[in-house]
Amino acid sequence: MKNTSIALASLVLLATILAYSSMYVVSEQEQAFVTRFGKIQGEPKIKPGLYFKLPFTDDVRRFERRTLEWDGRPSESITQDKKTIRIDTYARWQIDDPILFFEKLKDEDFARSRLSAILDGATRTAVSKHALVEVIRSVPREEVLAVDSNQTTMDQEQKLHEFIKGRQKISDEILRESKPKVLEFGIKLLDFRFKRINYSEKVQAAQFTRMIAERDKIAAEFRSKGQGGAAEWLGRKLKELDRINSEATLLEKVIRGEADAEAAQIYAEAYSKSPEAQEFYRFIKTMETYEKVLSEKDMLILSTKSEFFNFLREMNPTPAAPK
Amino acid sequence: MNQNDFLNELENIDLSKYKGVIKIIVGILIVGFTASTSVFTVDPEEKAVVLRFGKVVGPPVGPGYHFKLPFFIEQEYKVPVQRQLTLQFGFRTQSDQGMQESPLQQSYEDLISESLMVTGDLNVANIEWVTLYTISDPVKYRFRVRNVDQTFRDMNEAVMREVVGDRTINEVLTIGRSEIIDKVLTKLQLLADEYSLGIVVDQVILQDVNPPASVKPAYDSVNEAQQEMDTTIQKAKKEYNDVIPKAEGSAIGTVTTAEGYKIKRVNEAKGAASQFTQVFEEYLKAPEVTRQRIYLETMTTIYQAVDQKIIIDENANGLLPLLNIPAKDK
Repeated sequence: MKNTSIALASLVLLATILAYSSMYVVSEQEQAFVTRFGKIQGEPKIKPGLYFKLPFTDDVRRFERRTLEWDGRPSESITQDKKTIRIDTYARWQIDDPILFFEKLKDEDFARSRLSAILDGATRTAVSKHALVEVIRSVPREEVLAVDSNQTTMDQEQKLHEFIKGRQKISDEILRESKPKVLEFGIKLLDFRFKRINYSEKVQAAQFTRMIAERDKIAAEFRSKGQGGAAEWLGRKLKELDRINSEATLLEKVIRGEADAEAAQIYAEAYSKSPEAQEFYRFIKTMETYEKVLSEKDMLILSTKSEFFNFLREMNPTPAAPK
Repeated sequence: MNQNDFLNELENIDLSKYKGVIKIIVGILIVGFTASTSVFTVDPEEKAVVLRFGKVVGPPVGPGYHFKLPFFIEQEYKVPVQRQLTLQFGFRTQSDQGMQESPLQQSYEDLISESLMVTGDLNVANIEWVTLYTISDPVKYRFRVRNVDQTFRDMNEAVMREVVGDRTINEVLTIGRSEIIDKVLTKLQLLADEYSLGIVVDQVILQDVNPPASVKPAYDSVNEAQQEMDTTIQKAKKEYNDVIPKAEGSAIGTVTTAEGYKIKRVNEAKGAASQFTQVFEEYLKAPEVTRQRIYLETMTTIYQAVDQKIIIDENANGLLPLLNIPAKDK
């Protein structure tokens, strides 16, 4: 009983180990193939599931089935218009043919360095064939100006630069060009893009200096505009003042003139109705004038010759003849 | 494997004595192992993808207890579908969720090269932003693309620069912001779908949009100058507004005064004329008498008013030089 149970246990154990080493699972994110003593056996297993192999002699080589990342090392390139830029790229790729991939590259590290060699080279070539603006712009569009923009006089440096191809087309070209080159490694290149494009340090410093100069110019323009605006309002103020005052004066003079004229007319009408009226008026006015002109401070030297003393002299007053 | 040791021990032990106990223990072990590999829990924020022999079976399952086939025949992969994931660009307040390596220890240089970008007018802007996203398709997220978060990070940088590259620095800094957000979000989603990332881009938030640090003071001084311009003009305008309405009022005042003068003048004239006419009519009735009366009345007033009166005979001459005319000192 003791021996049989041990034998049974051993058998079960052996069977388990045997089964275990003759089955393998390819998971959803993998693809695999089998090598026997280093030689590739049969078709690669691209679909996930449970597969069988010979125990002990067969090795399973597993590879990613998922889309993989490739991140380019930032490198300096010179554009056609002689600007040094730091360019950082990325790509998406897949192991399309695991056997080819294994034979040519062995593993992902090799694949990455191969991709780098191809893509970095292609990038540098593409960049050198295009002006900087070509890798910056991508879609033609009209610049939108701020509604309250005071910046209408700003110059070219603030405008969108014209371009012919644009970023997208250039990166697509690099992709199209590199795709067949990596196909022989069992790699399918899915996408390639420019991640970062920045000025190299030197160019950037110069660009910053330019931006500062530009801003200073605009600031000066604003200040000048402010002073201009103030002067404009000052001028407007003085003009308005002159206009208002002179108009008022004019009107005043006209009205006063009218007043005087009308009064004169009324007087004249009353006083010149007849010769008698005229004469009477002169007489009354003379009398009034005397009254107004003479006061207690004055000294009056009277000659008896005067009309007033006529009676005093002659005691025979007669009405005075009109002067 | 401890199976050999286990077998050795089995030989040494008097099996008949412990047979029952061992059977129970082994039984419990087997049952326990089976049970523990055939149940799994999904947290409220998660969904789980179940793989049978490496292959996805059925749709992902939601939170709660679930059964699966034991002994690793079926395995579950949990994905936090409810959690909003964050990527930060140009700054770090926290380590990005879902990222393998913590990018907290990023140097300033790294961060600045993340956020500096060339605009369509070949100037440089410093843009810091946050992208929020959630996993919408656990299968795609887990099994179609490796390292989705890093991939998405790269996409963000590329797309933001693509959009900013088509705008002037003025647009980027001022009015273009919401438009940039819309564009970036749309493009990111399109690209995420193209790449089968299995994510939904929820939101792109522009955190800080600035000119580069060394250029910023110059930009600030432009703002200052603009404000200065506004205040200078406003001041002049205010002065204008202070002075002009007043002048207008006083002009109306002047004219009105003149009008008043006119009314007064005319009325006076009319009054005087009327008075004269009335007196004159009386005068005509008895001219001599009236005339004499007026003359004498006037003289009375005058002679009464004047203090010093000297009457000279018409025949007397040369009296004048002798006269002591008092100095007018009053």
